[in-house]
Amino acid sequence: MGLLAPLFLLGLAAIAVPVIIHMIQRERKEVVEFPSLMFVRKIPFHSFRRQRIRHWFLLLLRCAALALLVLAFARPFFHAAALAAVTDGAREVVILLDRSYSMGYADRWDRAKDAAREAIDGLAADDRATLIFFDSGAEAGPRSTTDRASLTGLINDAELGAGVTRYGPALKLAEGIFEGSDLPRLEAVLITDFQRVGVESASGVRFPNGTALTPIAVGGGDEAEANVSVAGVLFKREYFSGRERVVVAARLTNRGAAPITGLDVALEMDGREVETLTADIPPHGSTTVDFAAVTLGDAPMAGAVRTAADALPTDDVFNFVVSPGQVVTVLVVGSGRASAEANLYLTRALGIGSAPAFDVRTTTSGGFGAPDLEGRQVVILNDAPAPSGQAGRALEAFVEGGGGLLVVAGERSTWPADGPDLLPGAVGSPADRAGRGGAIGFVDYSHPVFEVFAAPRSGDVTTARFFRYRPVEPGPGAAVLARFDDGSPALAERRVGSGAVLFWASSIDSYWNDLAKKPVYLPFVHRLTEYLGNYTPPTPWFSAGQVLNLAQQEVALGTGGLAAAEYVVMSPSGSRIPVDVGERAGFIDLDEQGFYEVHDANAAETDLLTLAVNVDLAESDLSAVDPEELSSAVTGRVGGERADAAPPREVGSSDLERRQAIWWYLLVAALLFFVAETVVSNRLSRTVLSAE
Amino acid sequence: MSDTTQFTPAGARFLDPTVLSRIGTLNLLARIVVDGFINGLHKAPYLGVSIDFAEHRMYTPGDDIRFLDWRVFARTDRYYVKTFEADTNCNLSVLLDVSRSMSFGSKGITKLDYGRFLAACLCHFSTQQRDRVGLVTFDSEVVERVPPSAKHLEVVLHTLDQVEAGRPGNLARPMFQMTEFFKRRGILAVISDLYEEPESVIDAIKPLRYGGNDVIVFHILDPAEIEFPYNDATSFQDLETGRKMPVVPEKLREQYRALVQEHIATISKLCTQNRIDYALFNTATPLDHALFKYLATRHKLTRTR
Repeated sequence: MGLLAPLFLLGLAAIAVPVIIHMIQRERKEVVEFPSLMFVRKIPFHSFRRQRIRHWFLLLLRCAALALLVLAFARPFFHAAALAAVTDGAREVVILLDRSYSMGYADRWDRAKDAAREAIDGLAADDRATLIFFDSGAEAGPRSTTDRASLTGLINDAELGAGVTRYGPALKLAEGIFEGSDLPRLEAVLITDFQRVGVESASGVRFPNGTALTPIAVGGGDEAEANVSVAGVLFKREYFSGRERVVVAARLTNRGAAPITGLDVALEMDGREVETLTADIPPHGSTTVDFAAVTLGDAPMAGAVRTAADALPTDDVFNFVVSPGQVVTVLVVGSGRASAEANLYLTRALGIGSAPAFDVRTTTSGGFGAPDLEGRQVVILNDAPAPSGQAGRALEAFVEGGGGLLVVAGERSTWPADGPDLLPGAVGSPADRAGRGGAIGFVDYSHPVFEVFAAPRSGDVTTARFFRYRPVEPGPGAAVLARFDDGSPALAERRVGSGAVLFWASSIDSYWNDLAKKPVYLPFVHRLTEYLGNYTPPTPWFSAGQVLNLAQQEVALGTGGLAAAEYVVMSPSGSRIPVDVGERAGFIDLDEQGFYEVHDANAAETDLLTLAVNVDLAESDLSAVDPEELSSAVTGRVGGERADAAPPREVGSSDLERRQAIWWYLLVAALLFFVAETVVSNRLSRTVLSAE
Repeated sequence: MSDTTQFTPAGARFLDPTVLSRIGTLNLLARIVVDGFINGLHKAPYLGVSIDFAEHRMYTPGDDIRFLDWRVFARTDRYYVKTFEADTNCNLSVLLDVSRSMSFGSKGITKLDYGRFLAACLCHFSTQQRDRVGLVTFDSEVVERVPPSAKHLEVVLHTLDQVEAGRPGNLARPMFQMTEFFKRRGILAVISDLYEEPESVIDAIKPLRYGGNDVIVFHILDPAEIEFPYNDATSFQDLETGRKMPVVPEKLREQYRALVQEHIATISKLCTQNRIDYALFNTATPLDHALFKYLATRHKLTRTR
């Protein structure tokens, strides 16, 4: 037997206290004055040292209670071989349970939970365990606990998620637990279907030396051959009798080795089944199913494509929200003196496109008036003098109210002194570039106008040649989005009120440059107009795991912003999701598959925003990896090789003491002794009093 | 006069010392106690002219022939001289111990108070006898001294009134000093608790007798000092030395009592051997009773002389 804090044994000296009390229990504190102790001194052994101890039982009770108390504080523990053997075998067990949606295949989830319960049942008394649920992230329950009941309760309450399998975060978390453990044996139990898609994330994870990883595969070898999933949908919009219709095309994938024939595929719109088709899918192939056109209303419609349920029902449905086609209204103001073809390239470019569609109206600077601005989102001054007077003030008010203005420079563009103050800078006289002309040398790809061209082969505005342009001296508050190779601004922006003004320093037809003949012309003009028209493409669906920023949905919601609105978010499972007000204000984690609904509780009449969330179809690929492959990658040992005999860790005294926790029993015993002492001493006191 | 009770005046007997202690002045106290006593109970310690016949003795040349008993000569033809008790006034000196141990009292009256009352009574009584009274207080040294005088009763009473117990006591040194004080024979009343070994006590007091004085030792003890009635274990502090000692009374009471009785018996025996009168007074004993007891003893001594 050892003691963790032997110095506390000095407290045993306190046992002398009750002994002394018993010896001199009749001695009063007051001093009796006596004429002379001459005779007393002659009597041998008169002091309390030879006093007879009374109440032996009470004395023993008090001494025992004190001794137990002192011993408890000294933290005793046993060095017995049997106990040591038990404690040497104590394990730090981490149970990693995959809850990605692929675990919903057949009875994998039930088997996985059974396996986890078995692992918990196999824990010895001194073992400590941690339960980690993981899909794309990892979540740990109580760490290093010996409370099996709570672990079992966690497993019983666990539900499948909509995430994909990622082994990395979970294994990294387990690695951290192992590194912080002081137990001699480290074991991990990985219960999963060992999908190949999640293995890559495990690179870089290495358990401490000697850690054993027990893989428990709940997936069968041939199960992966039978899984059909709806991989996605495409919308083809068309107008019929002035109504917008949309044709939904669903793509189906068969990841199994057997062909699928006669598979029922249904289209649901707003909760009602609209059409059911039959599809045949070749093995390891895909097919597309086109449903009949559906007429859209004014509001977005929630839809889903669903196939007959198979062993993995999660990916048998694909949710989407199809919105009515949006239109950006544009007013092109040309010069009255220009030729009829001056707006040709521009109007033709805006005439193409359905997402959004552009409603283009043209006029001349002479006929331009305030009524022309009604219902317009964007005004393009194409090589035309700026309006002045009332029309100029109306244009200024239009921009300040949120409208967009694109000023295209040209031969005839002038800006009178009494014109509206909208230009981003002082515009000079046209400058010529001799020879092959100039080119755009700098583009701010972070700006929304150019960000679609940032990726390679996605459009290059620098290929166009510019022979003439108007130099601009940017004023305060103006931003230059593109420059010519001589440093002169090619595109400058100025924010005016809620709207924006863009100044294009060259023409937008083929007179001063050849941009109109380049492929990038069409998307460039579209992006310019979309940006000025504040166009935001609706998102037909999100993927599970994405984070929704409500601030980006305010146009769709039509509310006054986060500060004024009180958003209510309902999840597909029907639970209300609180909207954070701190750093993550307005951010919603989309964790479930289905339709989220968002509305503003403060607004009397508000649009209901519906968001479709689909699972990541990478998880539908059920092909598995050899468990030993993952195990060896994590533990650093090949298949049959035994775990290195972990260097026998010397179990510290503190560990032994903590596990045995003898002090606790001693403390309880001391408490009982004190209670008994109180009872006995009270009875004795009453006896003495009654005797007196 | 063989029975002391016949001297007891009605209504003045056995006054409780605690009651007496409420009387403000020693003069009144002494008068109350002494009133009723018969005058002349004690005689001079030497033979002289008196009306009380003492004895016959053979005539020796030099004797006053006036005291020849001619009737005896007529019958026996021998000269005998008649001697008479010297019924004359004498000196009474009270030697009062004022050591710190005398301040102890368990029954409302301290030993010093008791000794003070006793001294006052003796002095008052003696004054009525026309005796000269004096007082010496002592502890380890002589503290106060009032020489014997017929007019010193008030001074003695005043001194007794002012006396306080202070320092530790020791008999030997003050007694040695006092042998110088008493050139004339008289009665010396030593009032003390005698907390010394019996041999030391006798050795200290014995020299007082060398001048022919009659020495009476009044041994004053509190009842608690004799009975040791304490029950609770506690610390006892020696009044003289200040030393503390944890004591369990019930364990040593019997031994203590035996030691005290042995101490008393030894002192009494030694006093007798040295012709010193000894009287043990318990402070619970009424003063007049103590006086009776003393005077009776004194009377017997006188008669047997």
